[in-house]
Amino acid sequence: MQIRTTNAHVRDAAYAMPAALFMALLFALPLFSVLHQSLQQENGGGLTIQAYAKIFTTPLFLRVAYTTLEVSISATVFSLLLAYPIAYFLAKQSPRRRALYMILVLVPFWTSSLVKSFSFMVLLGQSGIINQMLGAFGIAPVKMLFNRFGVMVGMSHFLIPFFVFPILTSLRSQPLELAKAAAIMGAGKLRIFLRVTLPLSLPGVMAGALLVFILSLGFYIIPALLGGRQDMMFANLVDFYTREALNWPMASAVAVLLVAAAALAAMLLSKVRGGSSILSEEGH
Amino acid sequence: MTDSSGAKAAMIEISGLRKDYGSVVALHDTELSVPTGEFLTLLGPSGSGKTTLLNLIAGMASPTRGRIVINGRDVTEVPAEKRGLGMVFQNYALMPHMTVSENIAFPLEIRKVPRAEIRRRVAEVLDLVRLPHVGDRKPKELSGGQQQRISIARCIVYKPDLILMDEPLGALDKKLREQMQLEIRRIHKELGITMLYVTHDQEEALNMSDRIMLMNARRVEQIGTPDQLYFAPRTQFAADFIGASTLLDATVAETGEPALLRLSASESCRVRLHSAAPVGTVGKLLLRPEALRLVQNGQVTAGHNVLHGHLDNTLVTGATSKHFVTLDNGATLAIQELTDPSTTRLEPGLRVQVSWPPETGRFLEN
Ligand SMILES: Nc1ncnc2c1ncn2[C@@H]1O[C@H](COP(=O)(O)OP(=O)(O)O)[C@@H](O)[C@H]1O
Ligand SMILES: [Mg+2]
Repeated sequence: MQIRTTNAHVRDAAYAMPAALFMALLFALPLFSVLHQSLQQENGGGLTIQAYAKIFTTPLFLRVAYTTLEVSISATVFSLLLAYPIAYFLAKQSPRRRALYMILVLVPFWTSSLVKSFSFMVLLGQSGIINQMLGAFGIAPVKMLFNRFGVMVGMSHFLIPFFVFPILTSLRSQPLELAKAAAIMGAGKLRIFLRVTLPLSLPGVMAGALLVFILSLGFYIIPALLGGRQDMMFANLVDFYTREALNWPMASAVAVLLVAAAALAAMLLSKVRGGSSILSEEGH
Repeated sequence: MTDSSGAKAAMIEISGLRKDYGSVVALHDTELSVPTGEFLTLLGPSGSGKTTLLNLIAGMASPTRGRIVINGRDVTEVPAEKRGLGMVFQNYALMPHMTVSENIAFPLEIRKVPRAEIRRRVAEVLDLVRLPHVGDRKPKELSGGQQQRISIARCIVYKPDLILMDEPLGALDKKLREQMQLEIRRIHKELGITMLYVTHDQEEALNMSDRIMLMNARRVEQIGTPDQLYFAPRTQFAADFIGASTLLDATVAETGEPALLRLSASESCRVRLHSAAPVGTVGKLLLRPEALRLVQNGQVTAGHNVLHGHLDNTLVTGATSKHFVTLDNGATLAIQELTDPSTTRLEPGLRVQVSWPPETGRFLEN
């Protein structure tokens, strides 16, 4: 039994080899190089944790860390509020219709962030389509671009599909009889939602929230194009240190911390019920 | 609940009820009246429309036409949550995120019962289903049989007028199923709640019911007490579905008391007709295995019918034995008798006779 299991493990591992090799060359190796870079001194020389020490005392870094957290959390909440009704609606459709509507959910997912960001600039700009329409009603232009609002719009637009699917999965895995039983016991629609459907979908919500949060931490194009100066996030800070300050150890240290934060959140994700199904097929 | 005449008032009155899904008929026009306090079983093969009828009564589907009156109130247009019924599902349908107590308290919370009374009534029904100590557990920590008891408890705790059960024991193994049949019967007796019970298991229906409504091909085939369905089936389907049976091709040769049935060119038998079937009517003769006797050497009681054949084999199943006989006309039948050592050692292939009194056979028209 023990031997068979071990053999099975070896065999399963063999299937994962090509992907593992690919990841080793194109992900792990560069990551190590970044880690190594982050331990360099600014002007060359031996290994040091100087960059990390400096980071935690730099006001810019602390401000960006705070912004990253704030933006990621609010983008997660904002996306949840938009994604839950979509998932709920999808769960109630016939399989045919659901497949059709799912494509609609996925369209933004298939479009490049860059293209989407420029589209939002056209939509949300000072003389963009929305403000022109408001102007037609005599309403003064509203600033929707180069601020937090623009970032939220762009980010949730990108993140919603990542939220819809885990929620949809947990809604669809609920036995139909539960709502039926509750109705026959006398529960109205609102009570059924609040006492049965919603609590049973929380694992999906948790899994989706962590996934979306992790993705949010690394956003780069959207804050750069749709946000203002004060919306700088971790990835933008990396960009700043590499291209403007030309301080590669600092850039690398920020990158390493970003990866560490994401890894921590991913570990949490594997701990929540329903979350493991996002990370691996067999986690039920 | 009795009306002025002293007769039991009807808990359910269904008239002209029909359900179509597009061009598919899920239930043909159905009439049904269930007296208060009755245990009525809907029995029928899979796809015969049992769940459809139950869903219509529960309010989970709306009828294409017809009316449903429950306890004197027309509920045809009333949504499920306002009908005040109880329902027990095959897969228990307990809320997995609630404890057993919370599950049972749920319908009481909906009815805004005060907390202290909720606690008292939850304890009371847990006692009634003989699971007093599981209140703090989650449903998945209980066995299937225990979960079904909890779902019954959750139903009876709010004292609905009517409880619907859709194959509630379908997921349990045979031994547990028999135990739960007794349990549900006991609860029905103690509380006197009208119960509408769905099963495809004829033995279960015979064990539990005051009356059985047999369904076939999405319509009512026959409705009656277990005795009526067993001893006086009105159709070949009913005869075949309930109890073990042999159906032999037969044609009415002479009417009269008893009438004469022709079974083959050389064989005939006497039977009491329960309907006016003229000479020449084609149908089947129903013979129950326990009504037949295996006879050797022609020692047939006077006036009994007799057919000739040879023994295929004999199975001793304990107190009773089964003989399988192939008749000379090629038909096979089973005979069930109390085990008798003198007939259990008969050689297969032996010439035998099968005999039965005319009143135990039953002619069913095609
Ligand atoms: N939602 C539905 N859509 C189409 N046909 C249905 C639907 N529900 C039931 N039917 C049909 O109605 C018939 C009766 O089904 P059902 O009441 O579930 O039978 P039973 O419970 O006796 O097995 C079946 O032939 C089934 O295919
Ligand atoms: Mg059914």
